[in-house]
Amino acid sequence: MKRVVAVAVNTFRETIRDRILGVIILFALALIVASLWLASISLGQGDRMIKDFGLVAVSFFGLIVAAFVAASLVRKEVEKRTVFIIFSKPVSRSEFIWGKFLGLAATMFTVLAGMTVFLFLLAWVVAKSPSGSLLLAGLLIYLQLLVVMALTILFSTMTSAVLASVWGICLYVAGELSHNVLSLSHAGHSGLAHVASAVVFYVVPNLSAVDIRAPIVGEGAVAWGSLAAWCGYLLAYLVVVLFLTTWIFRRKEF
Amino acid sequence: MTITDDRHSTRLVLDVHDLHKTVAVGFRRRKVEILNGVDLEVRDGDVFGLLGPNGAGKTTTLKVVLGLMRPTSGSVTLGVSGLAELGYLPENPYFYDYLTGSEFLRFCARLFSLGARERDERVRAILVDVGLERAASVQLRKYSKGMLQRIGIAQALINEPRFVLLDEPMTGLDPIGRVEVKEIIQRLHERGTTVLFNSHILADVAALCTRIAIMRAGRVVWQGPVDEAVSSPQGDLEGFFMDVVRS
Repeated sequence: MKRVVAVAVNTFRETIRDRILGVIILFALALIVASLWLASISLGQGDRMIKDFGLVAVSFFGLIVAAFVAASLVRKEVEKRTVFIIFSKPVSRSEFIWGKFLGLAATMFTVLAGMTVFLFLLAWVVAKSPSGSLLLAGLLIYLQLLVVMALTILFSTMTSAVLASVWGICLYVAGELSHNVLSLSHAGHSGLAHVASAVVFYVVPNLSAVDIRAPIVGEGAVAWGSLAAWCGYLLAYLVVVLFLTTWIFRRKEF
Repeated sequence: MTITDDRHSTRLVLDVHDLHKTVAVGFRRRKVEILNGVDLEVRDGDVFGLLGPNGAGKTTTLKVVLGLMRPTSGSVTLGVSGLAELGYLPENPYFYDYLTGSEFLRFCARLFSLGARERDERVRAILVDVGLERAASVQLRKYSKGMLQRIGIAQALINEPRFVLLDEPMTGLDPIGRVEVKEIIQRLHERGTTVLFNSHILADVAALCTRIAIMRAGRVVWQGPVDEAVSSPQGDLEGFFMDVVRS
């Protein structure tokens, strides 16, 4: 456990000091501020616009960090041969993978917490009433992105960093849409389409299940029991993905 | 600077026997044997030089010893208790750009599960040892090639290992850097640490090593005391090396 923490702390330090991360956060904050302009031109929907557009900005830039940083996280260590230094010490492959993931998870938490709190304060100042549900939405976006990170790290152990990023982003999009695709296939008459969408639904993580943007802007209510169950499902999913990653990584030679 | 072997230890810290490694290369996964029955014995207290032309299998042998690669067949027996008593410097090492020298060494010390106080003491001592105490709080991306090589050696020594493997430790260094690395190896020998290193710089090998092995095409074709090679009819280590490799 000490070695997992050591790798995690090292990963957090290395990623949080990367200048690219600072640039991404600046863009994200600028986009969140831009929601004020959208609010000013939307008739009577300013509060809703700030929350909706702000959460999209948080998700989008979080996804960029998750996909691109996660893809290079393990890959870079292999290509630049820092793994030689790590694995010539009493560190197992699984300790390395878990440490890397937890370190990036800490970085992602810092980034998302910063963006979400900024959005929360902005919405508070404009709408004059604090909306705690924004903080919950930020936490759920974090959970979604943890799954994307785990999947991207898995892909990066098998392919190039660029491809791993692309696959990570594709799975995020598929995860947001899989539920809709399954519903649509029920409406149709094609058995093949139904089976295919069911396979996609069960293999791809159902990220849309923990998306509470609609209830936050007043469209429907949050089903708390179902939300908790889906959170458990996503946590189990990411643990399985990380175990799969360690299994693949253990077989690698450097 | 010449190291003399006055210990005559027979205890082995590394015994490699009939080591084979085959890898699949290219689209058609053609099998290539990169180690072809390596036999190697490193004794306690040796400064052991592993020589050979490029592609002879020196680095692969070290990787198999460290567990970075799995052997196809053969055995590797370590006379030390695993990686906890080993130190390793890879060839052309790369480190974490945004960490400072002391942060990096602290990280390496944590991988050996050292306590906070012991960690701090070791890091301070090793930074002095490799002459980097003034650059301790500078990020590694600002280090010169020589400084990176020294921080690489420092991380290899952070656990006070009994057996150190250095892959091309003098490559790419200027004359001052080379002398500094040679001094570090000499100090390790004086402390009783066993050192195995790869090098193409035969003058350094002749000056530092007590024993050498010469590899060619994935196997060891000669090993023995360096004095024996230096005092061969060829007159010096270079002549001896060329003779062995070409024969």
